[in-house]
Amino acid sequence: MTTATGHADSGRFANFARDHITYGIFALITFYFIGFAPHFASLATAGAVLRITAIVSVMAIGMTFVIVCGEIDLSVGSLASFAGMIVAMLYERDVPTFVAPAIVLVMGAFIGAVSGLLVTKIRIPSFLVTLGMLSIFSGLALTVTDTRPVPILDDTFSALFWNGSFVGVQAPICWTLALTALGYYLLHQMPFGRRIFATGGNPIAARFSGVRTDRTKIAAFVISGVTASLAGMMLAARSTAGNPSLGAGLELDVIAAVIIGGTSLFGGYGSIVGSVVGAIFIGILGFGLLVMGLSTSIQEVIKGAIIILAVSVNRR
Amino acid sequence: MERIEKSFGENQVLIDVNFVVNAGETHALLGENGAGKSTLMKVLIGVYAADGGRIVLDGEDVTALSLRERLDRGIAMIFQELSVLPNRTVAENLFILREPHAFGWRVDARRMIADAQSLIDRYGFGLRASARVGDLGFAQRQMVEILKALSRGAKLLVMDEPTSSLTVREEETLFATVDQLKASGIGIVYISHRMADVLRLSDRISIAKDGRLIGPLLPSETSIAHIASLMSRSPESQGKLPPTERALIKRSATVRAGPPALLVSGLGTARKLSDIAFDIEAGEIVGLAGLVGSGRSTLAKAIFGLVPDATGAISVAGQTVQTANVSSAVAAKVGFVPEDRRLEGLVANRSLAENFALTNLTGLSHARGFGPMATQKIASLFARYRSDLSLLCRGPSQTAQELSGGNQQKVVFAKWLATNPKLLILDEPTSGVDINAKRDMRQLIKQMAAQGVGVLLISSELEELIELCDRTLVMAEGRITRSLERVDDEASLRALLQTDAARQVEIRSEERAA
Repeated sequence: MTTATGHADSGRFANFARDHITYGIFALITFYFIGFAPHFASLATAGAVLRITAIVSVMAIGMTFVIVCGEIDLSVGSLASFAGMIVAMLYERDVPTFVAPAIVLVMGAFIGAVSGLLVTKIRIPSFLVTLGMLSIFSGLALTVTDTRPVPILDDTFSALFWNGSFVGVQAPICWTLALTALGYYLLHQMPFGRRIFATGGNPIAARFSGVRTDRTKIAAFVISGVTASLAGMMLAARSTAGNPSLGAGLELDVIAAVIIGGTSLFGGYGSIVGSVVGAIFIGILGFGLLVMGLSTSIQEVIKGAIIILAVSVNRR
Repeated sequence: MERIEKSFGENQVLIDVNFVVNAGETHALLGENGAGKSTLMKVLIGVYAADGGRIVLDGEDVTALSLRERLDRGIAMIFQELSVLPNRTVAENLFILREPHAFGWRVDARRMIADAQSLIDRYGFGLRASARVGDLGFAQRQMVEILKALSRGAKLLVMDEPTSSLTVREEETLFATVDQLKASGIGIVYISHRMADVLRLSDRISIAKDGRLIGPLLPSETSIAHIASLMSRSPESQGKLPPTERALIKRSATVRAGPPALLVSGLGTARKLSDIAFDIEAGEIVGLAGLVGSGRSTLAKAIFGLVPDATGAISVAGQTVQTANVSSAVAAKVGFVPEDRRLEGLVANRSLAENFALTNLTGLSHARGFGPMATQKIASLFARYRSDLSLLCRGPSQTAQELSGGNQQKVVFAKWLATNPKLLILDEPTSGVDINAKRDMRQLIKQMAAQGVGVLLISSELEELIELCDRTLVMAEGRITRSLERVDDEASLRALLQTDAARQVEIRSEERAA
């Protein structure tokens, strides 16, 4: 969306409108809920929505790197479940408070690297690699404790990832803000981001310019693995337990958030802020339909239809 | 074909062309790119309608008929890109959409295979009807394609560069096929760049030049050198650039000092290159001439580290470059302007500034790649090259896909010039750009050399090699066959290319026989 700034003045507004049309739909739907959903327009609601969407936002930030590269990561939901289980099990075995999350993040990075290596070196399409990973980690999350949830008694952990707050801002919102800033810097400011965009935009030209496209893609999968593990720990902190099915199905919301945010599924075009806005949009939609008293099943139908609509007007 | 005329806009591409193919004859069609031979063939098969003249097949005027109707009457073309289905059998490919049926709806597989085999045997092709096409070699797939045309009753076959994807042995198979077709009364139009093949195969030869046909000649009464001289286009028609004062920008002795810009020895790949050794002095422009498929682009890619199985020794300005490692080549300050700028040169949907900075992300960012991109630095550097190369664009944030071909090429040049290269590899740098951009580009190449950059220039426009190069290397069949200090005119260079290609093919087949 930054490209819009360079266009001639006459086309600037039209371009802006075209690039941000999903934001228009987003605003309309939000206004609708404010007007018609009982008690929707309140700070409490805003806080609740942001907290709910934090998990999808965090994962969507990592996913943006993968999708801009022209790949996909379907494993994030089950990897989050698995990460939640592992962190709970580490605490069960008295691993120190700050060591356990570090171990889980490193594990997430490692799993991302394995996916990345399979995609780049063995040349298996990422759709298949990460579909396999989805199955493996949802299975492993169930297997490690024989489907038993593991309670987390460490209060510092819960405070750090969910219940606490920092200068008055609740922890999940802090994480979202921090990761948005970090992701923005990495993707839109650093040389690394340039490599990601070039790899997704035209892998051959990128390679012919000296970009190591394989490494770039592996790095993107590593980032996605780390953000998925982080989100998994946030999920675990929220329910103060590792539960093997906490993250199930989240990958769909995450991918939808990224695409709604204007990132091209074909790679080479996208934005971090867009993905976070997309995640919040999905959150507002879910929450608004809930307070309007619609059943969860109908919610899913409406949510799906609106996501298709948003993506269809934002196609690249 | 009688008195065929065809124009695109104001550009007349075919002028009063007469072309006759007899039954059982191979009539070769030669010519430079853009001489009109493809257009003539497209008029023949019915892709384009002729503006004037008529086309007669076996006494029937087919000028007004559509492509499909002409196909039904027996005019078929075998394209370079084959349209066979690799996962199906030979028989299935031959009878696609015309399968014999049993009980009205079930495909009668047994009969289909029997019919296919009898068709194959009738023309004496060594194929098995039940073989999967994906398991066949390229020459055999070509046979399937030819059989497909024959089974539809083709009387006239147009073969466009049929040897371009074949190995030497497969070529032999193809030539045998052509002879068999001839013997069974099929007329063949054989288009090729390779004069040696043409002389051997054809009964008559016509040469397209500037929209007219020269000939037909009989192979027994002509030679490679003669044909080459006929093919050379007159200077006016090429819009030849004014001769520039070469002496002025000829490299000076001072630039020449120091290690060579490029030193290659024993460079080879599993399939395409063997035993390549040459050097380029700092400030020297070395041309690489050769026919299509002679290995020029592969050599360029191998030096830049883009060929995974390349082996040998490469050093750039005294620094050793690892083979098959682009990063190592870039670190040694090699720049590479690839042949296909849209596919290989630019990230079309990203901005010019992003494309420009892509070759030097570390140098154009703060803290040597660990900080953010140095946008100010990029902007000022981009502005400099924009004016130096007279690049026409709205600004650095315009996307690359919006520029014309010539300006896109300038961006590709700029992104490498900004890295201060010691060696620039240019693969067809001026192809497909307009005449002004072409002149700018050639001027630029000379300037770079004058500043001490070694240049390896691949070009199919021989006149460009003659104008720019201090030395010209000739490549044929993946080897460097000679190094020319001086080239006088295009015809003699073209004749050398052809004879070297022919000789290399001979050497190879002898090696195999031994």
